[in-house]
Amino acid sequence: MRDNVLKYVLVAPAVLVVLVTAIWPLAESARLSFTVGRLNRPDSLKQYLGWDNYVWALLEEPAFWNSVWVTGIYTLLTVGLTTFLALGLAILLAPGGRLRSGVQTLLILPFAMSPALIGVSFRFMFNPEFGLFDAFFGALIPPLAQVSWLADPILAFAVCVMADVWGWIPFLTLVLIGGLVSVPRETLEAAEVDGAGPWRVFRDVTLPQLAPVLAVAVILKSIFSLKTFDQIFMLTNGGPGTATQTLSHYIYFNGMKYGQVGFAASVAWLMVIPMVFLTYAYARLVFRKDRDP
Amino acid sequence: MAEITLRNLTKRWGDVVGVDDQSLHIRDREFLVLLGPSGCGKTTTMRMIAGLEEPTAGEIWIGDRMVNHDLPKDRDVAMVFQNYGLYPHMSIFENIAYPLRVRQVPADQIRPRVEDAARKVELTDLLDRRPRALSGGQRQRVALARAIVRTPKVFLMDEPLSNLDAKLRVTMRAELKHLSRELATTTVYVTHDQIEAMTLADRVAVMRDGIIQQLGTPDEIYNDPANLFVAGFIGSPAMNLVAGSIHGGEFVADGGTRLTQVAVNDRDAVILGVRADDIRISEPGEGRIDVPIYAFENTGDSTLLTAQWDSQRIIARGDRHLRKDQNDVVSITLNPEHLYFFDPRSGSRLRG
Repeated sequence: MRDNVLKYVLVAPAVLVVLVTAIWPLAESARLSFTVGRLNRPDSLKQYLGWDNYVWALLEEPAFWNSVWVTGIYTLLTVGLTTFLALGLAILLAPGGRLRSGVQTLLILPFAMSPALIGVSFRFMFNPEFGLFDAFFGALIPPLAQVSWLADPILAFAVCVMADVWGWIPFLTLVLIGGLVSVPRETLEAAEVDGAGPWRVFRDVTLPQLAPVLAVAVILKSIFSLKTFDQIFMLTNGGPGTATQTLSHYIYFNGMKYGQVGFAASVAWLMVIPMVFLTYAYARLVFRKDRDP
Repeated sequence: MAEITLRNLTKRWGDVVGVDDQSLHIRDREFLVLLGPSGCGKTTTMRMIAGLEEPTAGEIWIGDRMVNHDLPKDRDVAMVFQNYGLYPHMSIFENIAYPLRVRQVPADQIRPRVEDAARKVELTDLLDRRPRALSGGQRQRVALARAIVRTPKVFLMDEPLSNLDAKLRVTMRAELKHLSRELATTTVYVTHDQIEAMTLADRVAVMRDGIIQQLGTPDEIYNDPANLFVAGFIGSPAMNLVAGSIHGGEFVADGGTRLTQVAVNDRDAVILGVRADDIRISEPGEGRIDVPIYAFENTGDSTLLTAQWDSQRIIARGDRHLRKDQNDVVSITLNPEHLYFFDPRSGSRLRG
């Protein structure tokens, strides 16, 4: 076989796999988002509505905006808290930091757990009857003994954030340790001799040099926070009410529980908008050729 | 302006000794070079003066203040690092201005002072650039400008020229010397390059294994080495070291050649040191001993002639117009006024 024919033959299987597993589902969901799309009425999967689903979600559906709001706050809080705490830990754990070795291994543990498992274990810990947290808070702060954590909208939201932050700190810490290691030690020592105290060395020299890595970490975590599903599903299932219903969970509910796959698909495509921006920013940061003009 | 005093300074990491109970007095406005092979403790000594390394024992005094427990920022020293340690995210101007900004120098004084420092190291046109856009030599100048932009009590320089190519190093060395005389500030300079030490220093401290072997002017270090290590370390080519013995006022090299008359008491084992410049080369029969040439090298400004007899080799510097070939025979004579004798066991110098 000629080389220029052979190369297409050899690439074909991979292209086929991508087509079947990625491109086709994407195209199909895009098509569905313009249909009535109810699972209990097979003919509705071919009934086209134009942009009606999108218009409905954006203009007529408070539950959609609730989940947008929940997802936004959730993303803001988890990204902020995770980055802040991970940066602190990374400074302590980086070579020359105060903690090391043993702690670093221990740190990997939460990251090794699946998000669904984190959801289940946090639900147990906050169980009002036999939960670990309940026992702790009850013993330490008696007024909190009777609080039912997952039944209160704000507390349940806080628990979701807490579980997510706990699960994601290790990964971000490792990324930031890598970033800190690549900051040349001589620049830090030069700043010390130049007259900067520890805080100014950090602010003026460490942080600016860490910025590219920090940006990558924040964007990655934002993407993951935006699409959080499994943990929420196991921990609160969106409740109480819709207090912890993120967009992914809202899409799942509409598509799978209510059988409105057309509408769910349109919401999913709305969610793509911020994702594309974040992914673009991420790609710009990671693949840019010239790091310092 | 200040003097520096180190008292019984020691640095250990577990069993590893970096600096071993050393005392040193550096005079006000003196340019002192710490010279030695890598791992000899010279950089550790400097880093302890800067406050980047904490001494295990001993005291560091800058001026009339013991600074052991002061942070680097409170010691009023300026340092030039081997890899320059420039801030990559700041412009050259901001790099040089940083020591002023953190020390809260009034804003209207910063620009004139930065420009003044930049002028001294000829960087005026590059102030808007980033360090990445500069060549090695230019980065070195930025590091220097950042050090001289304020008036610290002490300058510390950690092998500042070692990352430059050979040609640039010679130029920068002269500029550094000029600058140091102009500023007249106490300076500690670490290097493993003996030429830098010889050319820049008021005094040189030669270090090895955490111990100062000799402290003296470049003249003393070169012409009056205290021991075998200093003798062998200083000078290019290295001093010839010939094993032998002294009998009846005559040095006899191992192998039986009677090399020269000496004024040292008889000993069975001794090492004779003689510099290449102190050996006269002449035609066969005219000098002390006749030897075949092992290698003849022409460096342009002089010639180096390695002579071989028995198992020993000796290197002599000849006139730049001297032309010889391998295996030619020449006669060599050692200048009796510039011979050094060492105890082969302790390495210490034997005098008179």
